[in-house]
Amino acid sequence: MHVPPLIEDMARKFSGKLLLKSELNISEQRLNYLAKHGYILGIPSIQTKFTLHKCFRCFNMKQSLFGKIPHQPKPIIYCKQCIQMGRTSTLEPLYQWTGPKPTRHYPKNPLKWRGNLTHLQQRASIQLVKTIQQNDQLLIDAVCGAGKTEMLYEGITHALQNHKRICLATPRSDVVKELAPRLKHDFPTIHLAALYGGSPEQDLNSHLVIATTHQLLRYQNSFDVMIVDEVDAFPYHHDKMLPKAVRRAMKPDSATIYLTATPRFKQKWLINTNQLPTVSIPARYHGHPLPIPSKQMLFRLTKQLEDEQLPPKITQWISSKQQTNRRFLLFVPTIALAEQLATKLDLPYVHAESPDRHHLIQQFRTQSTSALITTTILERGVTFPSIDVAVIQADHHVFDEAALIQIAGRAGRSAQDPTGDVTFFYEQTTEAINRATTYAIRKNLEAKGQSS
Amino acid sequence: MNCYICQNSTEPDTTWATLLVTKTRPICEDCEQLLPTISGPSCPICMRPSPQAKKCPDCHKWSEHFTVDPLKRNISLYRYTPEMKAIISRFKYRGDYEIIHAFETAIQSTYKTHFNDQPTTIPIPLHPVRQQQRLFNQAEAIAQKLIQPYHTNILTRQDNTKQSKKSRYERITSLNPFTVTKQPPEKILLIDDIYTTGTTLRQAADLLIKHGAKSVESFTLIRS
Repeated sequence: MHVPPLIEDMARKFSGKLLLKSELNISEQRLNYLAKHGYILGIPSIQTKFTLHKCFRCFNMKQSLFGKIPHQPKPIIYCKQCIQMGRTSTLEPLYQWTGPKPTRHYPKNPLKWRGNLTHLQQRASIQLVKTIQQNDQLLIDAVCGAGKTEMLYEGITHALQNHKRICLATPRSDVVKELAPRLKHDFPTIHLAALYGGSPEQDLNSHLVIATTHQLLRYQNSFDVMIVDEVDAFPYHHDKMLPKAVRRAMKPDSATIYLTATPRFKQKWLINTNQLPTVSIPARYHGHPLPIPSKQMLFRLTKQLEDEQLPPKITQWISSKQQTNRRFLLFVPTIALAEQLATKLDLPYVHAESPDRHHLIQQFRTQSTSALITTTILERGVTFPSIDVAVIQADHHVFDEAALIQIAGRAGRSAQDPTGDVTFFYEQTTEAINRATTYAIRKNLEAKGQSS
Repeated sequence: MNCYICQNSTEPDTTWATLLVTKTRPICEDCEQLLPTISGPSCPICMRPSPQAKKCPDCHKWSEHFTVDPLKRNISLYRYTPEMKAIISRFKYRGDYEIIHAFETAIQSTYKTHFNDQPTTIPIPLHPVRQQQRLFNQAEAIAQKLIQPYHTNILTRQDNTKQSKKSRYERITSLNPFTVTKQPPEKILLIDDIYTTGTTLRQAADLLIKHGAKSVESFTLIRS
């Protein structure tokens, strides 16, 4: 059947998505024409049952997050939870493409990467291909620095060869920004779109979409393979909306792959009750063991920091790194402490709201700065070769078990420099500190057991 | 009760002072501190910060341009800081209408202190097409917070381009987008969200004076 080029063009833009009129960006007449001929369907974005509202896009049912605009004859109800993505309201429906499906051409050999996988990576990769074939579920429990991205390549290639559309979703936009150029480089012939809040790219029916989980609120029934990286990261594991958004973005027959280094209770429960097939990768790609964190208990640490003093142990740690020309990351629990230490030590600092965040991280990555103070935003998904890590106030509640494991996982990432120093400075031992330390020991033992 | 700006709870910490108070607050303490109220000496006409409260150069130019400045004076509530910019963009461009409730008490008290002579309030109209996109007129939203009724049938607008998308020069030289559809009363108070160059307000004021109004003042949420 011949499809007019204009319709084909719109199918590429709109199919598999849930979009507002402003996001469709077409004229009123054209929209009416498309709706009349059954190419596009408007769905009420706010649904009301027994006076209770529900947002169709973000699943919001909290009534306090609905606003009212005075209007004749009835006030307009709108959702405040997802208003950053454009307003959904009783007068602004979401549009769904119901016309012909867009065609996609697949290259035969999309993968350019010619590296070798380790024995453990190979095992996960085979499992992954099998999961994609059977449209099943899989959790890959791999330690930080296991080479998760490379072990996905085989699976992605397989999916592409079988004409499947793939989504690689992650809760963090920093991770999207880091992954997109790597995958673009290794799969040069496919269409790839990187989506995050404020990203310039547009998904025109791409083969592979790399997106933050929030962006998936704009999708419906769109992907054959869904890979969720860092499932345990904030805000995904804390938010009921995002898992629902991920599920809606997938086709009914599709494969789901979860990646994590630190499964949370919910995932552990599913693993232990055999509800979720799992592969565990306890060793890094270079085969060297995980660095074991060294624990430094400091008396009256909190008080000293409040008095704007730095305990001598910490200053010694910093100066010893500076003397031996080691680059390091200094993790702190709060933005206020980051600022305080930055002025005291004359080092740059980043946090979620710093305007030049991207630039500073880039500077640290290209080795033009030798140290960086950071809040937990850099705890995961970012790779800097050969650095040391210290956590100040590791007993603070923001540093839970997963955070500390991830932070420790920043050290010793490159094969040339596989050992790195990880030090926790704290006043009171917490369960999280102990667990993060035993985690490294346990995983190292497991790796030894599997390689012999 | 949730904060109209950040959606966090506005429940104050329980102390002896707050124990028996049942009044709910529209904004939380953090957001309240972010709101930059205008203080210190400012231009008596447009409220731009100016040392010794002298008339600012822009207002001098306006007097030259019109021989008699059609706008008697402008009263604004807040400065246009980056935080305020974010709030206004959420209100106007994202369309989070309920943010206006956060300014309710401030709008009412300022109105009472400055305009106790009962002028006729006219919110600056939006072009109908824009109003249909936005589903509300931000100036009307502010006017609604005043206790007295406002009039939308005196002034209408044809021009459809956004002021915020124009340069300073384009704004000042642009054609008057308004028309007067009814005999205006003598004392008028124009209402708008932001005073930037003052062009829009003066275009409306000029037209109203030409049609017989005696004095035109303006009340804006923000002086940028």
